[in-house]
Parts: sequence; C-alpha cells; structure tokens
Amino acid sequence: MYLDAAKPAKETVVETNGNGFHKPAAVYEKWQDWYASEISHHGAMCCEIAREWITSTDFSELGGASILTGPRWLRLKFNWGASSFPIYWCEAVRKKTLDCGALAALASAIFTARGVKNYRVQMVQRFSEASTNQWSNSWNDTSEQLRWMNDDLIYHEGCAIAAGDGEIKIWDPSAGWWVDPKSKDGYGGLLAVRLSAFNLPADVNFTWGKHSLSAYQWTNIN
Amino acid sequence: MKIYISGLYSGTNPQPGIGIARSLRAAYPGATLVGVEYSNRCSGIHWQDFDEIVLHRPWDELNLDAHAREIKRVLESGALWVSSIDLEIMWFASLFPGGHPNLLTPSLAALNQVGKPAIPAHEYLPVKIPTFVTTELSDWDLHAFCREHDWKVWLKGPYYEAVRVHGWGGFQDMRSVLSSAWATEKLFLQSHVSGYEESISFSAYQGELLDCIRMRKRDLTELSKTWAGDVSEVEEEMLVPLREMIRRINWTGGAELEMVRDADNQLWLLEVNPRFPAWIHGATITGRNIPAALVEGASGVKAEESVATGEEFTRVVLEIPVRSEFPLSPLPEPFGGGIGHSLKHPSGLLQFANRLHKLDFDNGQVSNGNGSKSKNQPTIVPETFVDDLKEIDFSDMQTPASLFLKNTAADYFARAAALSKELSTDEIEVINAYSFKTNPDERLIKLAHDSGFFAEAISLLEVKKALAAGFKPEQIILNGPAKWWRRETLPDASFYTIFCDSIEELNRVIAEVESGELKTEFLGVRLRTPNIRSRFGIAIDTPETFEELLETVKRIPEECKFGVHFHMASANVGVGQWWHLFESILRWCGSIEALSGRLIEILDVGGGWFPEDLGRNSGEKFRKAIEMIPEFLPNVKRIFSEPGKALAQPSMAVAMQILEIRGQNDGWREVVVDGSIAELPMYFFYPHRILCQDANGGGWKSLNRGKTQLLGRLCMEHDIVASNVELPSTAEVGDILVFCDAGAYDRSMSYVFGRG
Ligand SMILES: Cc1ncc(COP(=O)(O)O)c(C=O)c1O
Ligand SMILES: [Zn+2]
Repeated sequence: MYLDAAKPAKETVVETNGNGFHKPAAVYEKWQDWYASEISHHGAMCCEIAREWITSTDFSELGGASILTGPRWLRLKFNWGASSFPIYWCEAVRKKTLDCGALAALASAIFTARGVKNYRVQMVQRFSEASTNQWSNSWNDTSEQLRWMNDDLIYHEGCAIAAGDGEIKIWDPSAGWWVDPKSKDGYGGLLAVRLSAFNLPADVNFTWGKHSLSAYQWTNIN
Repeated sequence: MKIYISGLYSGTNPQPGIGIARSLRAAYPGATLVGVEYSNRCSGIHWQDFDEIVLHRPWDELNLDAHAREIKRVLESGALWVSSIDLEIMWFASLFPGGHPNLLTPSLAALNQVGKPAIPAHEYLPVKIPTFVTTELSDWDLHAFCREHDWKVWLKGPYYEAVRVHGWGGFQDMRSVLSSAWATEKLFLQSHVSGYEESISFSAYQGELLDCIRMRKRDLTELSKTWAGDVSEVEEEMLVPLREMIRRINWTGGAELEMVRDADNQLWLLEVNPRFPAWIHGATITGRNIPAALVEGASGVKAEESVATGEEFTRVVLEIPVRSEFPLSPLPEPFGGGIGHSLKHPSGLLQFANRLHKLDFDNGQVSNGNGSKSKNQPTIVPETFVDDLKEIDFSDMQTPASLFLKNTAADYFARAAALSKELSTDEIEVINAYSFKTNPDERLIKLAHDSGFFAEAISLLEVKKALAAGFKPEQIILNGPAKWWRRETLPDASFYTIFCDSIEELNRVIAEVESGELKTEFLGVRLRTPNIRSRFGIAIDTPETFEELLETVKRIPEECKFGVHFHMASANVGVGQWWHLFESILRWCGSIEALSGRLIEILDVGGGWFPEDLGRNSGEKFRKAIEMIPEFLPNVKRIFSEPGKALAQPSMAVAMQILEIRGQNDGWREVVVDGSIAELPMYFFYPHRILCQDANGGGWKSLNRGKTQLLGRLCMEHDIVASNVELPSTAEVGDILVFCDAGAYDRSMSYVFGRG
C-alpha cells in the first residue's frame, strides 16, 4: 500500500491488552499517519461513467442475494497487485490489478450505492518474512511501494458494514471474505484495526465480535 | 467399562465412529472400546483405539431378529452402545420403543420430532426451515416449485443424499435414481439457502443436556462436508431454547444440528442428525469432549479431564496398518464395459433402508411442504381444457393430431389484455406484444390482434405476416439478431420500434434512419447485463463496452425516440431471478439515461413466462414493479411485455392413440403410442399434463404418476413421451391420450420425422 498523502492522523491512544498490560503500539506505528485509500474523480464524465458501471454491475452481480453480501465479484474482475496513487475512477476500472486500498475504496462505493452504511478499515496483519520477501520481489517497481510492509507485518485495507446495533462486520475485498473477529495472531492473523469514514464523529464506538473499536483509533486485536 | 461404537466408515464422507472412539479413549483410557461394523470395507475397523472389532454381515444379509437378540444381550450385560448409523438408530428405536438405559440413542418419539425435512422440534429454536415440498406432488406443481425457487433447489432422499437439481430433465433423472435406490417416492425438494454452514453438537441423557458446542466449517470437502473448523460456546440465545427442546423431546444420545447462517444473520436448520457428527473429535481437541459427557452422564463414571490442544481443528489423511484378522478383500470386477468398481454403500445401507420400509417402520416422514397440497393429488387442469375437448370429435381423427383449445386460448388472451389494462396508470401504459415466433398460428394471431396487442417480430417474414393479419406498421416491434433477414420483404412504412442486438447493428440502423432507408418511431437497444448468460443483446460487462454503448446511443437521430429492451425467460431462470434482473435493468437504464442524455421512453421487458407465472396472482407484483419504474426512469410512457408461451402454451394439445400395451415387469409397463417427441419437442424442459377419457368414453381426467412409460413411435432411443404415468387399468389399444400444454414451442418447433 502506498499513499502519497501523509497528513497527520488523529490522536493516538495507548492500548491495553485484555490483562491490562501496556501493549506496545509498535505493530501499527509505521502506518500511524496513513489515511484510507481514495479513488479520485476527474469531475468529468469519464469518471462518472466508470462509477456508474461499477455500481450497476454490482447490482447485477448480486443475483438477488441480500445487499449485505460481500462483493466478491470484484476479485474476478481485478487481480490483487500493485496500484499507484492517485488513481482516478476512469483508470481504476480499466486496470487488471488493484491493491487492497483501491479494492476497499470500490467496495465502500458499492456498499454506499446499495444503501448499506459502511466504514473504511485499516488493518495490520502478520504474515511471515518469507511472504513479505516474496511481495517485495513482485512489487518491485519502486521502493515507495514497499512501505506497506514491515518485517513480517503488512498494512491492509478493507471495508466495514453496519450489522445492526453498533455492530460491524469487516469485509476484506482482496481476499473475498469476512474477517473473523476471533482472528488469532499468527500467519495471516489480524493484529490491529482502525475505522474511519467521511463525516464520522470521533466519539463513535463499534462492536466487532468481542472487540470494542473507537472511530479513528487503532485497536490492538491480538 | 465396555462401550460399543457402531458406524466406522471413514472415507471423505465419514461416519463418526472413529472420532467417537478417539474421544472416549481420551476420557476413559481403561475402557474397552468395541467397534461394530457391517462391512470389512469400512476402514475404521483398523483404527488402533478399538480393543475389539465385531464385524457383522452387511445389512442386506443380516438376520435382523438374531441381530436384535444379540444387541439386547450386549445391553443387558451392562455395556453401553453409541451408534453413529442413522438407520441403525431408527431400527434401535423400533426395538426399544421406551429406550434402554445403556442404549445411548434417541427414542422413536424423539426421532419423529427431528424427522426431515419438517423437523417439528425446530419450533423451540431460533431457526427457520428452508421451504420444501414432497415429491409426491404432481409434476406440474414440482416444476412450479423449482421455478419459484430459481432452480436453486435440492432433491433429498429420505435419510441421506442431496443432489442439486439442474433443470427439469435432470430432476426427472435424479428422482428416478433416488426413488429406486431408496425404494420410495417420498423424496423432497428443498430450496437452497446461501450462507455459511455451522453446526451445534450436543449430548443428552434422558432429556438432560450434558454438553454442547458450536462448530463453524472453515474448510470443506467437495460434498461440502467439514474438513476444518473452529469450535466455540453455544450462545445463550440458542442454549436456553436448545436445553428446553431436549427436555421436551426427551433426547438421549449425541446429535448434530446442521445449519446455515445467511447474510442477514438468520439461521436455517437443514437437518438434525440423531448422532454425533463425524468431526466430533475436533471438539474434543478444543477441550470439549461431548461423547465423554454422554458416557459420564449415562454411567456416572467420571471421565478424565479434557485438555484443550487448540481452538481450531483440521483433518489430514492417514495411512494405518490393516488389522491382520481383517485382511483386505479383493476389489469387485468393473461391470462389462464399465468404468470404475461401483463401490457405494459397502455395508448395504440402501438395502437396509428398503428392509425398514418393508418392516413398515418408516421415520422418513415427509409432510407436504409447509402445509399446502395433499399427497398424490392428480394434476388440476383448467375447466376450459375439458370444455374444449368435449367439443372435439375424436372418432375419425388422424393421430397424432394437434388440437386447438378454442375457449382456453380466448380465455388466456382475454386475461392478458385485462391484466395490462389493469396495470396501466395515468402515466404509464402497459401493452402486450404477441411473440409471433412462439406460435404463428393464425387463430392465435387473430386473438392477439383482436385483443389490442402489438406484434413482436424477429424477422421480416414475421413482419409480413403481421401486416397481412391486420397489424399496422406502427404496432410492430422488431427484435432479434437477424431481423433484416429477407430484406426484400421490408415494407415501406415506419415501425413502432427497432431494438438493436449489437453495437454494429445500432450503427447500421442509425445510418439507415439518417439516410431515410428505414423509418421507426423508436430506436432502442437490447441489453445483456453482467452475470447473465445470454447470446443476445449488447453486452455491458466492461467499462469499455458500456462507454461505447453510451457514445452510440448519443448518436441516435433526434427524430427517433429511445427505448430499452431485455428478455430472459423466467420459466428457465426462475421467477425470483427474473425480478432481480428487472430491478437490475432499471438501474442500468437509469445510468444510461443520465450518462447519455437520451430519455428512455419505452421499456420492453420481453416474454418467457410460464403461463401460471403470468397468471392472476402475479398482478400485485407487476403493479409494484410499475410503481417502481418512475423512480428510476421518470420518462417512461409505455411498458411492453412480449408474452409467447404464457398464452400459446395452454392453447393447444396433442392427441395420440395407444398402439400397443406390453406386459408388466415388477409393476413397470411399456406402452407404445403414435405420438412422439417430434410433436412434443419440449418434453424434456417442462412437464405436460396428460388427460385420458373414462372407460365409457365420458369425462377427461389427468394421469397421475405411476409405473408406465409411454414410448413414442419414432425409432429413436430418447423418444419417450412420458416416463412415469399411471394409465387406467381399463386402458386399451386405440384409446386417445391428450397431452396438454403443447401450444407454444412444441407446436412451432415440431418436426416431420418417419412419415415417409
Ligand atoms: C425477445 C423475445 N421476446 C419474446 C419472446 C417470447 O418468449 P416466450 O414464448 O417464452 O414467452 C422471446 C423468446 O425467445 C424473445 O426472445
Ligand atoms: Zn476520469
């Protein structure tokens, strides 16, 4: 994940783990200042057509299923791989590969078009150094692009939807699955998560499984 | 302590015997575990945790009385018995109606409370049951069920087996396979529920819940069986009612509730298995030994403390040594010319099921699907069919003959005209356009014309016919990929609308309208939306094609108004899918109107309805749909539908005569008729209602399902015009059979064959 925007993020809150011990913020420190990725709009027909195409296609692909169904079809259309930012709607829809941030931004636009309240989600996941080395080799265009990795940790993006009563579900549009709130530390495990959304007040709290998440704040999951 | 465990099959769709043994071994290291099997091909007999193996002859060879005595002796000796074979559990329930303290399986009454598919005990739980019907309903009703559920339906056997139904032909084949395997007509069709599978496994003794856990499938086999899973506590909202349910139905033994959680978080109960699930040792790994809780509850002997070694489990494949006392048997010979060794159900469970039927013990109580129709009801036909037949003289008729059902046809057209009138509002007029190709019979065309229909044509020859029948050019809708075929017959007049099937065609027609070669009030496009398999219409499945469409639409000359058309047969894709497509089209149209700047003034929704689906009860749905339109397309003034078979199908029938009645074989009988699939080419796609006359040549009644095959006159293997009907016992050579519902493509696509 690479973002050219590096505006200061909201305040950081020191997390404690379940035993009340101080838990180091180290896992997300590198991405503290990152914002969720956006798809830009030229303010012209080119981008408008692209956006309409995505949301109309989504409704067709839904096949009559519940609007709370994850738009897994995005990954049939786009491979997961490097994207460069800024990226415009008219460019994004014509790409063969999109990264997790662009896919999450599309998923968010889709849920919004369906009328489903949704939030942007930033995540820190653990993989392994073997994996991050592999990604380093295949995402080798610029060293900037590798800023989404940190030893065996990676920065990742997704999209949360409101699932009633302050509860959320987190969709991982790159994987095509709902992230398990019981996710454990280990390969592929989720370590930290942060929610944000346009116009979302800072004092909102969400329930995700047994976790309580506050808007704009990184929360350690494991 | 001695514990008998039966059901040791251990393939990719395993029985739980091994898992139970592993769990009980962990809880009771000193217990004697006896594995019970009915085939030495069940590889679980070689599993190390069994101290003894009792191998019986397969169920089809077993003397059930002697076997029952043996089981009683075992139970009386103080040993416990945990069965993991559903059919054995049912049989035990019949042997011990009041249960036996050492038999850790449910009673007959308890089993009846969890019988598929109705699962009466579900009433206690916060779950729903997917809609189902018994296959004892008429074919006509079963086809309607499949359409209603978009053909996302499962055909299920009374005890095991579920197969996805693909189309009517596939359904008929699978029904006959399952019916003959299980020797019963009592199968059921159940609608599919999409979501994530999860289970609850519990053990209970004499109505007391001992322990339970929830398991979510995390990896699946090809048959959707568990390969990996995670285990967690059953949540309070489920636990409290579950405990109550167990008490009320007085459950003893292990059990599994198989469920699906849908996107809206609703739980759907698919099955309650009266035994532990095959993955039960996965729960033991997480520190919850459910089989041990059962044995402890029943015997009072304290189990060893469970030790959690993980919160999730997965399976691997293991090679283990074969016990020397049970060497492997040879593989059976492949059948002559066959592929594979045909090794299903090694312990003879199918035959056992048949023996249970004969013992008149039958737990597979399939009720009639959410209470609607009763069993074995003959198919209902509209009264007008019979009225029409009464007016027909069959005495000198050359068969096979096509019969025009005059009153029926008039009735269907009149109803369609009335419906469109009823649906029209001040802003939007609803108009029918008769699909000429469906059946270009002049009598039907006249009815269409006289009912105020437009004509929908797919070729210029059809246009010619429409004009000759009195339709005005401005009542003609031109459709299809080859509408300019036989261009020399193009009339010098202005059409009502032309819907182009490709960008290339749209470009050509634009040029011809500009040059004055073609005249039309509307010029539109047929759309092929993503996620629909179709060869027709302009695909918009990439941003590039969508943009090209928009650019071309912008170039449509100002003198033409613009419209959009789609067609997808709801009779094939299902009624629900059709309505979803309709909504999806409204969205696409909204986008096209906004982005191209061209107003959409007509919307043509095509045809493809099964007659019943366009009938009276859909009026409300259509009304709501019409109300929805202005929200997306405020400029639409006319909605067209293009019914073909909805009107034509019931309007004609085929009369045929019995040529030969052959001898019976095990109740099955072959009868040769002079009709054939040349007159009924749609035989494979939907059921046809068949009428025959009373012995005294009186009233007409429809044939039920039975054991007679009607063989067509053609020398073609697949020329069977009915595979399972019941002819009256009085049927004779020369009797007339009338195949109804043959007025659409059966008529227009019938062919000449074998007539010299
Ligand atoms: C465009 C169009 N309209 C109408 C029909 C009529 O369909 P049916 O006879 O199934 O109602 C068809 C059939 O294929 C069609 O393609
Ligand atoms: Zn653009």
